[in-house]
Amino acid sequence: MSDTPISPIRLHKELERIWMTPPGIGRLSSVNHTVLGKRFMVVALTFFAIGGFLSMLIRAQLATPNSAFIGPEIYNQIFTMHGTVMMFLFAIPMFEGFVIYMLPKMLGARDMAFPRLTAYGFWCYLFGGTILIVAMLLGAAPDSGWFMYTPLSSKPYTPGINADVWLLGITFVEISAVTAAIEIFVSILKMRAPGMSLARMPLMAWYMLVTSGMMIVGFPPLILGSILLELERAFDLPFFDPTRGGDPLLWQHLFWLFGHPEVYIIFLPAAGALSTIIPVFAQRQILGYRAIIAAIVAMGFLSFGLWVHHMFTVGIPHLALAFFSSASALVAIPTAVQIFAWLGTLASGKPKWDVPMLYVFGFFFVFVIGGLTGVMLAMVPFNTQVHDTHFVVAHLHYVLVGGFVFPMLAGIYHWLPHISGRQSLYKLSIPAFWLIFIGFNLTFFLMHLTGLMGMPRRISTYPSNWGWDWLNLLSSFGSFILTMGFCLVLADLVLQFRFGRYFRRDPWQAQTLEWATPTPPPSYNFAAIPRIDERADGLEPAKIGPLLAGGYGYLGFTRNGDQETMGVDMLTGAPEHVIILPRRTYLPLWTALATASFFLAMLFGLYWLAPFGALLTLILFLIWPANIGQTEDEGLIDIGMGEAAPLDVECPNNVAVLANRCALVMNATLFSSLLFGGLFLLVVAPNWEGLVPIDWPVWLSGLAWILSASAAGASWLARQRNLSGQNAGGFLLAAALGHVAALVMLIVLLTAVPNPTDHARQAVMFALLSFSAIHCGLAALLAGHGFWRLTQGYVSARRQTELVLAWLWNGYAAATMIPALGLATLLAWAGGT
Amino acid sequence: MVRQDLRALLLLIAGFTVWSLAFVVLYGLQAIGCAYGWPNHRWLLIGAYVASLIPLAWLAMGKPVREGEPTTTLSIAAVWANRAALGAGILVFLPVTFVSACI
Ligand code: HEM
Ligand SMILES: [Cu+2]
Repeated sequence: MSDTPISPIRLHKELERIWMTPPGIGRLSSVNHTVLGKRFMVVALTFFAIGGFLSMLIRAQLATPNSAFIGPEIYNQIFTMHGTVMMFLFAIPMFEGFVIYMLPKMLGARDMAFPRLTAYGFWCYLFGGTILIVAMLLGAAPDSGWFMYTPLSSKPYTPGINADVWLLGITFVEISAVTAAIEIFVSILKMRAPGMSLARMPLMAWYMLVTSGMMIVGFPPLILGSILLELERAFDLPFFDPTRGGDPLLWQHLFWLFGHPEVYIIFLPAAGALSTIIPVFAQRQILGYRAIIAAIVAMGFLSFGLWVHHMFTVGIPHLALAFFSSASALVAIPTAVQIFAWLGTLASGKPKWDVPMLYVFGFFFVFVIGGLTGVMLAMVPFNTQVHDTHFVVAHLHYVLVGGFVFPMLAGIYHWLPHISGRQSLYKLSIPAFWLIFIGFNLTFFLMHLTGLMGMPRRISTYPSNWGWDWLNLLSSFGSFILTMGFCLVLADLVLQFRFGRYFRRDPWQAQTLEWATPTPPPSYNFAAIPRIDERADGLEPAKIGPLLAGGYGYLGFTRNGDQETMGVDMLTGAPEHVIILPRRTYLPLWTALATASFFLAMLFGLYWLAPFGALLTLILFLIWPANIGQTEDEGLIDIGMGEAAPLDVECPNNVAVLANRCALVMNATLFSSLLFGGLFLLVVAPNWEGLVPIDWPVWLSGLAWILSASAAGASWLARQRNLSGQNAGGFLLAAALGHVAALVMLIVLLTAVPNPTDHARQAVMFALLSFSAIHCGLAALLAGHGFWRLTQGYVSARRQTELVLAWLWNGYAAATMIPALGLATLLAWAGGT
Repeated sequence: MVRQDLRALLLLIAGFTVWSLAFVVLYGLQAIGCAYGWPNHRWLLIGAYVASLIPLAWLAMGKPVREGEPTTTLSIAAVWANRAALGAGILVFLPVTFVSACI
């Protein structure tokens, strides 16, 4: 250990041996965040190119009236795929990749909290995205628009596989968003350099804390909606079919409940990047650190109160219109707070101009226009006027390209030297920017005008006598200038990798920790983890870097060949425990392949095969924890700097427990969306009159709940016994058995639901009971898992993680069963007096 | 120190959490009241509006720190966030007091 100091070179070699990703086929086993972050970004940029290519086809088709280039069927597929690819396969994964790569380096950690989950998420993303692209090449791409409105996307109107490709492919991809959200949230809260309290974090971390929190509650409604619609398409459960008590509006609510927060989920990471880049070039710390924190918290919440502004024209009461209209206009205020903070930072600093700043300027110009048209669209009368016209297309691109693509390009020019270890040449950078800036505005500004002149979106062609011809031609011309700009950027980046100048640390004199790593960064980021005593956006990386490389700091040594990094107290950043991260393995790849088999079986209608895919995935997941953990209590161990801390498994607040809490919150959001859906249909959907109450065995529901509650109680007792040093095995087994019995009761109850395809009432009951059944199964599994770990010797009074998890999931199953069975009973009685 | 930080962090999200709950309740009352044709629907909405503003006002006016504690970055951000939540509550929910609820 650290008794005799070793040379920086030797320390580097020893750490590298532990953390590295092997070459050749071994690359597929990588779980390293630097490697995976880069992979995420490369794949996302590839999808950006694909989406961009599709947009060129769109503009080529719309360049002239009566164009015969692409017919309407193909056009539908192309704009649907363009929107879908850009939103789900480019924007979200792009910032996930950036954050996975960058965040641990900014916060002073050696990796993310769950490296294997990062890898699993990456494979899910890659496979899911591939399904969509392959379907497109085979001519079976989704074609109902990127928001997949029912009934257009329902079976009668989209009989082919197209809509299933979207529902299943996107859900598959969303696994990566879900895993990333939890991982980012937990990593920010628990894995920072010691001393970095919450209030010392660089703003990027605050942005991502809020963003990942939003993802945790924002994605479940979409996932639920996709599951319900797929159930309708595959098994004819009529959730969205108004003739059988469903309601297409339910889909719109679920989609936009996700969809609106989604645009802020895309914008906030970009704003975080801007808040990091602007101070570097203004040569001063950011202005209004606290106001920005308040603003992003406000934005995070407000953005969940806006979703109905996408539904202003569906015929909802004035009150609801007024509600969502004022909330939509209001959200401009926290956005403005940030804009003024950035402008103020620039105005009061000593701005130096460089390529990233060009794109920052582009961002201000474009995004502010998009924000203003956004406030216009928030006004109901105006919205009614331009609904579904090209005005909306113009607005959304001003916001998305201004709020994401320009900041992304600023970020690429700012941080690529970190990845490549070289600086840009700049010959092409400046013309590239102007081509993009001019091309973009030419393309999209004119769409405001065609929109106001009444040109609808999503039309494959138009007659020539309506005065739209020149504007469309110019717009298409602009889009080709824009594309040339992107091609130049690509060429510029390739040149940087080949011919860029090498530099030593921190070429921009930035003041955040990521520049204290060597560049390109080694697999372990920091040879030692620094102690932070001031706000972490005012550091001197060029000074800190060499110290860390020499092993001066926390964990500046290797021990037992383990991948070690620091876990800290959430609030104060005081060192709390040492996290031992799992090492490279092919398990994530195998698990993702098993998951793919499930989704493919569903896609091709091989419904008998799908459960095997799901089961295989589950079994593989159960193998993950094998050999991870500690079979003895170690007590305090040396962490360098003369301090000591316990291992993560011996710390009650470790990342695994926090992550499971997050997963439960996410799960509860999904469940609440389901309850909301059931109540929504009960209260407002048509064709609920004349239902006959179902003969419902209430006593059986009661029995199921009593079993589940007893199981939860047993899991709690197991935990208590373990804490006091007694054997908890019996209680864990009892919990598992109790939940298996509850599961059986629920299956019996499921058979008491008369044909779920008859009416949405039965379909919702079916969904509720299945939800509970699945969670009883999961609870039993976790109790069983705890028992297994106990017998393997991984559990003690100090090492209690497995027992906490068993209690969390068993308690959750029992708690959610009350509203699930309650609503099911209410629905069963519907129609009675 | 830790307790104060924890309180500040909770306060940071408290105002908008209340705001979100009020949002759900008001929107729910509006929809359910219309569906079942409740009498006195408007007064119920107004009552819920006022009731939701009380905790928001309390949070926005409250002192950020206890006697003898230093103000911190988080505690100041929390005050601002809670004032914003009060403002958002007053403005966004105001329509429930007069706009036609069911058509
Ligand atoms: C690279 C330049 C781009 C061009 C030239 C372009 C062009 C277009 C056009 C012309 C449409 C309207 C199609 C129609 O309604 O008939 C469209 C739709 C759309 N675009 Fe783009 N786009 C670009 C980049 C982006 C980016 C970066 C994003 C998101 C991050 C994006 C997201 C969307 C979405 C969500 C739609 C709606 C699709 C639908 O109606 O289902 N676009 N784009
Ligand atoms: Cu929106």
